[in-house]
Amino acid sequence: MTSTALEALQVHPFHDEGMPKSGAAMMHENPYRPWPARITSITDLTATEKLFEFRLIDERIRNDFHHKPGQFVEVSIFGVGEAPISISSSPSKSGFIELCVRRTGRFTEKLHQMQCGDIVGLRGPFGRPFPFEAMKGHDILLVAGGLGIAPLRSLINNIHDERSEFGKVTIIYGSKNPSEVMFREQFEMWRHRKDFDLYLTVDHPDETWDGEVGLVTKPFEHLEISPENTYGALCGPPVMYKFVVQEMRKKNISYDHIYMSFERHMKCGMGKCGHCQIGHQYCCIDGPVFNYWEAKNIQGSM
Amino acid sequence: MLYRVIDASELPALVSAFMKDYEVVAPVPSGQSYTFEAVDSFDSIALDYPTTITSLKKYLLPPVETLFTFDAKQNEVTDFSVEVVPRVLFGVHACDINALNSLDIVFKDARYPDPYYQARRDKTLIVGISCTPSETCFCHLFNADEARFGYDLFLHDIGDKYLVSIGSVEAANILEAACNVREATDEERIAFHNATRRHKESFNPDIPDVQDIAMLMDAFHEDPFWEELGGRCLSCTACSSVCPTCYCFDIRDTLDPDGDTGRRERVWDACTSPQFALVAGGHNFRDESAIRVQHRMYHKLNGFLANHDRMLCVGCGRCVQACKAHISPIEVLKFFDEKGRASGLVNDPESNSENREEVACD
Repeated sequence: MTSTALEALQVHPFHDEGMPKSGAAMMHENPYRPWPARITSITDLTATEKLFEFRLIDERIRNDFHHKPGQFVEVSIFGVGEAPISISSSPSKSGFIELCVRRTGRFTEKLHQMQCGDIVGLRGPFGRPFPFEAMKGHDILLVAGGLGIAPLRSLINNIHDERSEFGKVTIIYGSKNPSEVMFREQFEMWRHRKDFDLYLTVDHPDETWDGEVGLVTKPFEHLEISPENTYGALCGPPVMYKFVVQEMRKKNISYDHIYMSFERHMKCGMGKCGHCQIGHQYCCIDGPVFNYWEAKNIQGSM
Repeated sequence: MLYRVIDASELPALVSAFMKDYEVVAPVPSGQSYTFEAVDSFDSIALDYPTTITSLKKYLLPPVETLFTFDAKQNEVTDFSVEVVPRVLFGVHACDINALNSLDIVFKDARYPDPYYQARRDKTLIVGISCTPSETCFCHLFNADEARFGYDLFLHDIGDKYLVSIGSVEAANILEAACNVREATDEERIAFHNATRRHKESFNPDIPDVQDIAMLMDAFHEDPFWEELGGRCLSCTACSSVCPTCYCFDIRDTLDPDGDTGRRERVWDACTSPQFALVAGGHNFRDESAIRVQHRMYHKLNGFLANHDRMLCVGCGRCVQACKAHISPIEVLKFFDEKGRASGLVNDPESNSENREEVACD
């Protein structure tokens, strides 16, 4: 570097604390900036999963942070890193964001060690959500496998909030064994109500299990749906998609009424870093929610 | 576009004028090849270079860049800024200008403009220069042999003079102050036209022009060719390091030795790296080199086209020279050239019209 260049070095600050700004403008200024959020509640769900509730500390950010079911946030623990995590709460739960986190690596290990009152960084929300408005007036068939319940719970709870806007709502939620079933209390409660047709199923039952037994596709055997009026939504481990989509297609649900949320490692969340690419699509901005027709047209999606 | 003419002997004055307010980065000899480096005199610049080992992307997307610093104890961001050197990229070939135009699509004109890239881009002037294609150049196949926009000046060599396309007011002011700028004569326009024609005719004819490459790649997505090609990949990621349009990155936190403070950095990453598509829990969506190489080639020759109506590959040929396993877009073009003709999907100009009709009926 020449001496001229050193003198000409310019520093661009990305924040101007003196200016009163809206939360949206602050977030827009530098979308890589995580905003401090306090852990307000931690619920143990299983041996490996916890539900964290966060509250963004800056009121301006909090007021302009609006998510839709199916979107995700980037969570920061400074010094450890950042991870994309789908939002589990309904948008109607204003001011709070719930994330369901499985302890599975260095980042989530650290998050699981944190206590109520601890602070993390959040940025987002990112990604294309489920078409909630378009789904209104239709029957809904939701299929979750394992941790796939995390993004679908946002949709389920949002539907619950506006239950009268929807027709028949069927939820199929499959787990490997009873100890891995999350939000069981909530589901137990719903099992005895007429709002939802609920199928909890496990691969390996124990003596306490009184739900279904078998793969997540099993309940389809006796499922009666009106295909022209149904939206399907699914999320689960990679291996699950093909089989559930097959079942939905057998029931004649249209390609573009079957919505699925894909899991990839979105590092930037903004369609740049490339880690979440599926074929030519970026899971973070083109998805993570795709309909089956779109997914069929992306090489390597399923 | 505004055209003017300057004598070749005036280039040193132009470079000196830029040096007053900018760092000037230009091609310089490096071993057997060339590289882009900051220069302090016109004499060190190699104007007639075939290509450089690495591209210019490092000046807009540094290999390692601090996004912000933080205090890990307080969980706070401490400093949020980007250091920018006002810079002139001097002597840039058309392929590389087209590459920067593609980076602009992703980092500047996208739904989420990247503030770091943008701050640098805003302080960067680009001076293009015409070139002589080397054996590994195939920019003309992807419409990247001409820069239609994305530069401040473009110097077209017409003998001992340059026809200069002027793309910005900022550069026009510097040019006019430093050089004796003339209107182009008809003779000079003809010289430019002839030089452009010669340029188009001087590409390596062994690299096939496969206009339907994106369609053919979709049609033969499952072809064993990909296994063979990608199976050779050493996952060294040299291809993406030298590529002017490979922009993928990783984001990581680096702690200072005290363990309390640190910085979040973005570092170059590559989709040909084995861990690239790994998710939490251990599932790797592209766990074989064959799939990774295929994914990379698709992004370059198919996917970006589908999204942005332009090839991401600009045919600069750097990866052709960098790859130890001889994997390159040229291999892909050659394979699909033959495949297209053998399968009848693409008309063979040598076959007769009767055959062609039969193919169309299939």
